[in-house]
This record gives sequence, structure tokens and C-alpha cells, in this order.
Amino acid sequence: MKLSTTLKDVQAAAARCLREARCTYGAWPENHPLCPMYWHEPSFTFSGGGYLFITSALLDNKIDFNQSITDFAFSCTGCMACDSNCNIIRSHEPYVDILDIIRLLRSETVKRGFVPEGVAKRMYDEVKKTGDYGQASSLKLPDQISSDKADTVIFAECSHTRTQKDISEATVRLLEKIGSPVSQFTERGCCGSTLYDFGFWEHLEPLAKATWEKMKGLKDKTFVFINPHCQEFIVKRYPEILPDYTSINNQHISQLLADAFKKGKLKSKKRGKVKVSYHDPCYLGRGLRIYDAPREVLASLDGVELVEMVRNRENSFCCGARALGNYVPNLSEDTTRERIKEFEATGADLLITACAYCKENFQNVMPGKDKVKVNDLIEFVTEHT
Amino acid sequence: MATKTMRIEREIVRSERETIFQELRKAIGAEKVRDDEVTLVTYGRIRHGFDIMWPFRKPSMVVFPETREDVVETLKIANRHKFPVTSVGTAAIMLGTTEGGIILDQRRRDKVIEINTDSGYAVIEPGVSFDKLTSALRGTGFKCSVGTMPGPGTVLGQALSRGSQSFSTRYLSLVLDLEVVLPDGTVFSTGSSHFDGVGSHLRYGPYPDLAGLYTCAYGAMGVITKAAIRIHPVNEVYRIHFAGFDNYSDAVDYVKDLVNNNIPEHTFIWNWHMYLTWPLAPSDMEAVMPQILESDFRKPPEGTPYNLVSSFLSGYKELVDAYEKVCAKVAKKCHGRVLSDEEVEKRFPATLAGFRQQYGDYSYRESVHWNKGRFAGWYVFAEPKDMKEIEKFAVNEFSKFGKAINPVNYYSHPFDFGRSILLRIGGFPNPDDIELRKRISKKFDEMYDVALKRYGAVPIRPIGSDRAETYMKVLRSIKKALDPNNILNRDSGLFEEE
Repeated sequence: MKLSTTLKDVQAAAARCLREARCTYGAWPENHPLCPMYWHEPSFTFSGGGYLFITSALLDNKIDFNQSITDFAFSCTGCMACDSNCNIIRSHEPYVDILDIIRLLRSETVKRGFVPEGVAKRMYDEVKKTGDYGQASSLKLPDQISSDKADTVIFAECSHTRTQKDISEATVRLLEKIGSPVSQFTERGCCGSTLYDFGFWEHLEPLAKATWEKMKGLKDKTFVFINPHCQEFIVKRYPEILPDYTSINNQHISQLLADAFKKGKLKSKKRGKVKVSYHDPCYLGRGLRIYDAPREVLASLDGVELVEMVRNRENSFCCGARALGNYVPNLSEDTTRERIKEFEATGADLLITACAYCKENFQNVMPGKDKVKVNDLIEFVTEHT
Repeated sequence: MATKTMRIEREIVRSERETIFQELRKAIGAEKVRDDEVTLVTYGRIRHGFDIMWPFRKPSMVVFPETREDVVETLKIANRHKFPVTSVGTAAIMLGTTEGGIILDQRRRDKVIEINTDSGYAVIEPGVSFDKLTSALRGTGFKCSVGTMPGPGTVLGQALSRGSQSFSTRYLSLVLDLEVVLPDGTVFSTGSSHFDGVGSHLRYGPYPDLAGLYTCAYGAMGVITKAAIRIHPVNEVYRIHFAGFDNYSDAVDYVKDLVNNNIPEHTFIWNWHMYLTWPLAPSDMEAVMPQILESDFRKPPEGTPYNLVSSFLSGYKELVDAYEKVCAKVAKKCHGRVLSDEEVEKRFPATLAGFRQQYGDYSYRESVHWNKGRFAGWYVFAEPKDMKEIEKFAVNEFSKFGKAINPVNYYSHPFDFGRSILLRIGGFPNPDDIELRKRISKKFDEMYDVALKRYGAVPIRPIGSDRAETYMKVLRSIKKALDPNNILNRDSGLFEEE
């Protein structure tokens, strides 16, 4: 969505909602509940349609911007289940997703000085103070693979947490094992993804422009992303935000690993049998439609048996990490717990995911002794190769 | 003085609302009763979704019952305070809600309680959608009747609002038995299950049929908390037979002959605009619909039948083979032409795919047609010979709107073995052009008047009780007996002049 889009611009599209709740559940015949808010609190309000209606109601002066609207706007987990199942809204000008309208709603509340307390407020304060979120973070690429002339560029995103840093370090170890030359791209700070998701749009354009300015010199190379949020944002949103954007070759690290196994550049160690279940991160799955590569990687590992959770691929259920509003109490934790229950029902030993936010969230909620059951795909592959 | 009196009245109302709110939370659980501003606003315009044509009526609380007892308690409390209640389900409703009242949203009551494959019925809660029921029926050897409601719509909403779901031959009404809660908390069943320990296999007798009272009542006579609906065996084979006609009159003769002879399980007359667009995937819709919207719906391209009749044939293979021959014979007699599967596959592949989805798994899941604007439709029932004239009349009137409402949503089918024919003709005018839509609405009212007076056509929805005075008088007496405080769906429009 263009950053200049206004609520008025999306009013007609939002008004097409038929109140059918199609945005809340997955494909027939399973009809799995997918929208975490609706699963938690089945009500028209807590569905994609509820957000669309609030958008219309704000424009129609039926309600004013206030802290409640803000908390509500930030409560959506941003899992995109709504947009996987409803085609109606995006069929109308300005051809945007329901989640985009929710992001726009957030940006309009932020513009008016309303930000939810807690994590969102801390993020926003940092963005306001520094014009950025996070800071440049580079990978320590060993000399034998580091080459500025390499066709593969690892996108070294701003790592905010220990989990993200651990995943980055594991990535380096894997790249070293693969042995092909790579270079890295270091951002100034945030690529803009977090700012876009949470409506901090006033500070977004300079960040995205700065990143793209640096990226475009490398645009003939293939960018490999570790964090699916960055990849989804750059590949899908830069074209909407930056007039001079041209498409880039891009891969998720899971795709690079799957290729490496296929070409024999990466080999599995002999290990004992282990049952794993793979959680599709929303931005990697529904966002980028990358479902097979992580599974191919797992299938390449000796002794690893993949058992699917009931809700998987496009019908995956969110981990709940990105719900920052508190309009629905305990939504984030309860969503995570629900997903953990689903994992436990598979009888698998380990829960593997491919997004640092998911991993952190699962580990935060998983009881102490079980936290080790949560693994990131990259770290897991590092141990098994 | 007047201002002071109004202020005092407002205070009384506010305090009463607060009392009811607290009573409800205590009776059924705080988590099932909401009065936060965001919830109230999002329930402010349920009528026709977000359509700004209709008034915004903000409720004072929304109740989400999870059990029948929750409904009973809610109604008893509301009745004691003479406080309005509007019961709704998942989708948009056709008629109005009450400002400041209680919305009773039954979406959380969505269990399929029983599938009885011996007798052929399913007992469901009111929030069960077609998607949920058709999914639950998979593998049972039974199906529910072919609906025209999108998958997320509730089965009960369809059954009781008498949408244009086909009753064409073997299906009859969806409803067998209803469990109803009255405002004073009385609970009763309308069919055979009112006898202790008896299932829901029989709708009629030995007493008068009360289920009929709840059909088209829009919740004004009681709140339905459970329903038994007819399900039908999946037969040995099924086929979809297609016949094309150059005019509507021949198509009516054809379907009437077929249903009179109990040939198809289900049959539909589709106008060419509709059969070329209705089953399309969203991406195809973008490619096809603009051309269709630009064309004159009265003049199909050379070789494209004005009407396509789809007939769902099912039964033992020997019978279906014979049915196909009969269809071909009757089509010829009615100046039609049989279209082979190959021809339909080649010329109208999306249409065939849509029918296969609908008849294959008995569910209709897409609603891409509804992307196209805000639906404005004109629907009437009439006897077959009259309907032929009505169609000409409606087509003529619609053509005067030009492209402002090109009627792409245009179909017709027989009810009750052809005793009555439904014609539905509608399109999707620009939702933001309120003046145009008001003009269309006014025009439709005039058309209903003419159709009733000139052709004996009955509308599908209430059009003002002055045209059914005695009937409405009797209904009002019944309403008064069942709901003396007039709390139920007070603004549904059924008793609008009270």
C-alpha cells in the first residue's frame, strides 16, 4: 500500500465486506479456525470485517480515534489468514489487503498520538528518537567464503535480540559448510518492515529509501533473507512505496539450504531418530508462499521425521508474536499456547520454525523444561550437518 | 423544562441499561456480554452489511450465548425490563435492528448435534454454516439440499429467511423441526421432538405446524436455538444435464415439464449473463465481468443461449440414463437444444466447474459475484404462465436502467414442483451512488405493485402490510400473544406500522 493512502481511499473497498466471517477460517472442508482474534473471541468485531467496519465508522463519524481504537488496531496478530480466504476487499480499488487496511488504521492512530503501552510504545519511542528501529548488524563471514564479487548477497538484518543474533551466527556456520562465495548487505537499521506493520509510517520512507539506495547497486545479485518479515516487506512493499524500485532476485535461506542439499554441498550427519513438527511462519508461508523449501530441508536430514500439525501451510495458525495491543486480554499468549497444544498433539519431539519472532514467542510461553524443544530451522540444520 | 425532562429520561434509560447489563453478566457470564464501544459500533449496521443506505443503529450491548440456557436467561431478563432484543447470526441480515437494544449474536452456537442417516435429518445449532454442515456430511452418504447461499452463511438463516434456495423438486423445505425460546423463557419444539425422547423426523401433526410461523418471521416470534433440517441421500450416480433456450418462456415450459414428471433433483434457469460470470474465480472475473457489464443482457452473442437450464439428475444409473433421454425429449419439445458435457466444457468451462463444485460436494463457497458492487435485486414468485409475462415486464424495466444496473445476477427456478416460479433479477449498481440506488429502490417498489396487481406476483420480502391487511392483523395477534412486550426484533420491518 502506498504510504500516502488515506482511510478515505480504502472506504469503498472496506464497505464491500459481506460480514460472512470468511476471513476467519481456512479452506473447506476442514474449515479450521485461523484468525487468532476470532478464535479467541468469536464476534464480528474481532474479525477482519470488524476492522473494516471500524474504518468505515471512523470515516462516518460514528466513533472517534481514541486509545481503545488504538489498542484494538494493534491487537491483530497480522497473520494474513484473512487475506488468504477473502478475495472481496482486494478486488476493489485501491486493491489492497485487509491487513493493509489494519496497518493504515494503526498509522492513523499513531499520527494522532495514540500508541499502545508496552512493547509498541517502546518501539515507537525508539523510532521517534532515532528515526530508526535497531541498528546495523553485520555477519562475521569467514574469509574463505566472503567475496564482494559473489552473486549471493546475505541480507544481514538488524538483529534486535539474542535469538536473532544466534540465528545469524548459525547462518554463518552453515554458509561456511556450504563453502560457496557470499557477500553481505548490511542495513542502516530497520528495512522498514516493523515500522510498516505497526503504523510508524511517518518515519518509514527515509529508512526504506536509504536501504534501497544501498541495495540497488547490488540488484543483479541474489539476495538471501534470514528473516521472512524483511523479505516480505522488501519484495512486496518496496514496489508500492518506492517509485524507483526494480525487482530483485531473492531467496529465503531455507531455499538456499534446500538447493545446497540437492547439489550435495551440504550433507547431513548420521543422527538418531527424531520427530519434528514444522510451524509455518505467517510471513514466510502466507506472505511469501514458501512452504516446500523448509520441509525439503528437514527431509534432507538423516533420522528426521516430519509430522505435520493439523493446521499447516496456507492453513497454518499464527504463533501470536505480533499482537501488540491489549484489546483482547492474553491474546498473544493464548494463541501461542493453542499452537503449542497443536504441536504437542503430533507427538513430535521438536518444534521447528523459520522465524526468530516465532521462536522467541514459543520459547517465552513454553514451560521451562520444554523450551529446548523449540528450534529454529537454521540452528537445527547447523547441528545436523 | 423539556430539556430537564429529557435529561432525566436519558438517565433512567442509562441506569436501566446498566442494570440489565449487570444482570446479564451475572446470569450467563461476563465474557458473553459486551458493551465496549468498538463492539457496539461494529454491530451498528448489520442490515445489508456496511451499506450506508440503511440506518446506523448502535445497540447498547451484544450478547454471545453459548448454550440454550444463555438464550433463555437473556430473553427473560430483557422481557422483564421490556428491553428490545434482535437475534442475528454470522452474515448480514435482511432487516433492521433496534437502536439501543440488545443484539443476540448466536455465532458461537455452531455445533452439528446429530446427523441421522436413517431418517435423513441433521440437528444443528443456529450458528452452523453451510461450510460446516457440508463438511460434516462428507462420508455419511448424505448431503444437504443445494443452496445458493455462500458457504459461510448459516443454514438456518437461509432456511428461515426463505432465500432463493431451490425447493424445486425433491428437497421441499429445509426445516423439519425448530426449538424456539419465547420472551418469557418458554422453550418448545415445533416438530415431532416435542414428544419426550422422540427424534425430529416429522414436521407436521398431530398439531398445527408452528414451524411455518417462524419462516419469514425474522426472529420476531421467538428465538430459534436448535433446528432439524432435511438431509438427502447421495444417490448411486449423478449427472448435470444442460439445455439451452433462446427465450425464457420456453425455458419455463421445459423446467415445468421436468419437475412435473419428477425428473431432476434440482433445476435452474440461468440467464446468460449469470451463467457466464457466477462461477468464476476472482482473477477470471476481472477479465470477463467488464465485457459482460458493457453488453446488453437481452442480446446474447450468436450461439450463446439466452437461458441455460441446468438439471441435476441423480439416482440409480438406469434411471439417470432414462432421465437424460427424457430431458433431451422435453428440450426438443420446448424448442431447446441439449448441450453436451464436451460442449459446455469447451465453451463455458468455468460454468461447468462451478456446477461440479456445487453438485459434487453440495456446497457453494464462492461469492465473487458479490464483489461487483452493492446488490440490488427484484424477486417475485408467480404461477408459470404469469411468470413468462413478468419476465418480459422486468426485462423491459431493467433495460431502462441501462448499464447503471446491468442485471448480471439473474436466474429463475421452479418451487414446489412447478406450482410457483421464482424470478430473481438484479445487478450491482455503484454502492456510492446513493441517489441512483434510491431511484432503483423506488422503481422496484413500483414494479412490485404492478407485478402484484397485473400478474399476481408475490414478492419474496415484506413490501408493506397494507397489501396483506387481514393476514397482518392475525399475525399481530399471534405476535402479541407470544411477545406481549414486543421485545423481539422490534425493527425487523415485519410490523412496521405499529
